[in-house]
Amino acid sequence: MEHFSTPIVHNAPICERYHVMKLGWPPQFAPPLPGQFLTIQPPPGTGALLRRPFAVSDYDPLLSQIEIVYERRGSVTSHLAACRPGESLDILAPLGKAFPEPTGSARPVLLAGGIGMGPMFFLATSLLSRDTNPVLILGARDSTLIPDLPLFERIDTIIATDDGSRGFHGTSIDALHSFEADGNDMNVEYFACGPMPMLQALAVHAEQTSRKCWVSIEQTMGCAVGACMGCVIPVHGGNGYARVCTEGPIFDSQEIAWT
Amino acid sequence: MDLTVKIGDVVVSNPVGVASGTFGYGSEYEQLIDLKSIGALFTKAVTWEPRPGNRIPRIIETTSGLLNSIGLANVGREGFAKEKYPFLSGLACSTFVNVAGNTEDDYARTVEWLDEHAPLTGYELNVSCPNVKEGGLSIGGSARMVEAVTQRVRAVTDKPVIVKLTPNVTDITEIARAAEAAGADALSAMNTLVGMVIDVDTCQSVLPGKTGGLSGPAVLPVGVAIVYRVSRAVSIPVIGIGGIEGPDSALQYLLAGASALQIGTANFVDPTVTDRVLDGIRNFLSQHNLTAVSEIASLLDR
Repeated sequence: MEHFSTPIVHNAPICERYHVMKLGWPPQFAPPLPGQFLTIQPPPGTGALLRRPFAVSDYDPLLSQIEIVYERRGSVTSHLAACRPGESLDILAPLGKAFPEPTGSARPVLLAGGIGMGPMFFLATSLLSRDTNPVLILGARDSTLIPDLPLFERIDTIIATDDGSRGFHGTSIDALHSFEADGNDMNVEYFACGPMPMLQALAVHAEQTSRKCWVSIEQTMGCAVGACMGCVIPVHGGNGYARVCTEGPIFDSQEIAWT
Repeated sequence: MDLTVKIGDVVVSNPVGVASGTFGYGSEYEQLIDLKSIGALFTKAVTWEPRPGNRIPRIIETTSGLLNSIGLANVGREGFAKEKYPFLSGLACSTFVNVAGNTEDDYARTVEWLDEHAPLTGYELNVSCPNVKEGGLSIGGSARMVEAVTQRVRAVTDKPVIVKLTPNVTDITEIARAAEAAGADALSAMNTLVGMVIDVDTCQSVLPGKTGGLSGPAVLPVGVAIVYRVSRAVSIPVIGIGGIEGPDSALQYLLAGASALQIGTANFVDPTVTDRVLDGIRNFLSQHNLTAVSEIASLLDR
């Protein structure tokens, strides 16, 4: 975990509302892993107080850069969208637990819902470099929220939109069922990030089919380092709650007490 | 330049502390700041038994503030002694265990137990808890109950006892004098202000428990006024808390009459805030040709 100021090296929209930002990563720091996140101190003038968490969406060891995908939706992200390369941000990273390695020979199936795509891109890139033949299912409300990325050329990608404006007509979970109905349902393991209803539906499916399922959970955070107990989610066992920032954000879906 | 602060018989190295609930048990921030530079660390609350804490969501940001309803989630006295104490006992800074409970007995037996099994510098009593024997009334809202709790704890420990006052009362100076009369060595002022946020889309309170505690820059003027009044009502040190985010806000507390400070929410925003505040205090002393932190309060017209 490091706290540092670092320059923006790239910042551009990738589709309606979603942007990608690359930031310098001091090479002497331990590299971030897929599933981990960072927090950014709200720049002056945003009127915001707490640091904002963002999942790491890529790490380039050659250029010493990390990347986040963010949605422009509040004062901080609107400010970020207007930042230019060269401006610096105050970063705390890398935070939280990473996705585990896929189990044995299981084929990794990566599900991303909406802005949950960020950490799945990082995991996909990482898995591609290790000959694991992953599948990426990317769900969004409509085609305007689907970026076109070089990554999609390198990985089996299924795009699903709620309104059918691009790719499969339905949710990412519907697309998963369709994919598995086509005979791809043998030995798979799920990795997912997206809205809670999507993650819960996947958790139920994983339980019914006795497959491992890892989910990345989003929660409002205070400190993001495990001190404030503010970002918890209900879990089975322990005292009934786990801190998303330090015990997560990656959880075995069966650990979570879904409501 | 004398930066020390005396709390009971203990000399704290400098006036900048970190507030209970915002700094865990210290280890959480070990990689981010040099813990030696902190004057005093006030732990997350410890209760007799472990508590899971409140339902979610537990925190929400407000305009310049943070509303929380954590619910004293903690590992209990035994978990504290086993899991948290070894790290805390090795720290160079002063370490005060924040103790919470729902009866006088809770506070007294927890402090007595900790004194024997996990002794640190001293204790800070979080009296902003409901008293289960008095129909859930806030202990901190009653001078009589604060006096009783403080007396009970005073009787079981020789270590410094600090009472953390709640601002959610009619006359905080009455509560402050009750704590002093019962033997408190210092007062922390203040705990969070009761607040509520309602989601207009759902027409419901955002926090499941309806209300929470407000902290952050939004509460700064409230805390400064409370310290101004409390420090004039008692002769024991007052530790200023509420909305400190840098040298300016910290100095307002010291000018108002605080002998020391605790930084809370700002740790979440900038883990190095304690260093910035201490540097700011040093610079202020130099600029005003003062030799001790304790002289700062004399600059304010009474």
